[in-house]
Amino acid sequence: MTEQEIITLSNQVFEESFEIEKEKLKPEMNIFLDLGLDSLDIVDLVVALQEKFGVKIRNDDRIKNIRTLGDIYKFILSLKAEGASSSL
Amino acid sequence: MKETLKLICFNFIFYILFLLFSIIGIPVFSAIVAFQAIFISHRNGMKKFRRAIAWYGLGVIKVLPFPFVRVFYKNLDTTAEKGPFIFVCNHRSASDPFLMACLPYELVQIVNIWPFKLPVLGFMARAAGYLSVRELPFEEFSKKTTDLLHEGVSIVAFPEGTRSADGSLGQFHSSIFRVALSSGYPISPICITGNENIPARGTLLLKPGTIKIHKLPHLKFEDYKNLTPFKLKNSVRQIIAEGIEVMKGKKSL
Repeated sequence: MTEQEIITLSNQVFEESFEIEKEKLKPEMNIFLDLGLDSLDIVDLVVALQEKFGVKIRNDDRIKNIRTLGDIYKFILSLKAEGASSSL
Repeated sequence: MKETLKLICFNFIFYILFLLFSIIGIPVFSAIVAFQAIFISHRNGMKKFRRAIAWYGLGVIKVLPFPFVRVFYKNLDTTAEKGPFIFVCNHRSASDPFLMACLPYELVQIVNIWPFKLPVLGFMARAAGYLSVRELPFEEFSKKTTDLLHEGVSIVAFPEGTRSADGSLGQFHSSIFRVALSSGYPISPICITGNENIPARGTLLLKPGTIKIHKLPHLKFEDYKNLTPFKLKNSVRQIIAEGIEVMKGKKSL
């Protein structure tokens, strides 16, 4: 999966699950301050990301460090990279 | 100079009266309710205690600061709307809970941790069953608020969580909207304007002014049941933001 595909699918999660306009979905956007998610919304976000990418992230401590949309892209990218290396 | 003197006098008189009213009023209200509670059920005792808090709030926010501070409520017709409601309002000042306490409904407020730490007032808040959202896991918070609604007690929530530094409307937390979606009770948006400096964040200094509280038309469960919690909280936020603009005269109805 390419970086662009991860960005597109992550953005789809925000559009489908939270009905956030496409124009707002920029890497520098803070998911709490700019996009308006709170701690309970993060639970919904995690579930939606798990379904979209077929990964398990619920217990991953790195979630706590996510602040921007760009952080999410990088996080998924690293998960996919870890998945690819472990399957070798 | 004259204005400064007026401000000092107003604050001096208000806080003296506030202390006297609290020192005398709270024990008197509490004693009356405690005496009545001997002869009535726990449920009715709680109802009376919450009523006593409403009277106290009325005294603090409407009577003591008058005529320097004037308070106007709009659309509080309880004959047409019995409740219980989930009241959702913007948060501008430490006076907001006092303003909400005056609503003509039996209610419990969802507050932050700090009001519980205030002497006397914190005790009253706990005794009246007020909920500290940050101290409760969501499941417990949801159960407690839903149980209260089933008992006929309205809930007052400030979904911004804290007062914004510049008076702008902050992002909403979804907790209370998740409770609304699971319990099905109507959501009643409320807009407060004019109390940004009564008192401002980080100070106890009160400035004269006119506070307006507008209760907007409530949203029935049928109106919002198909929305996600995220969409619902932002829809209500938008309604309140537009209501504030109308109140400020920046937008027409």
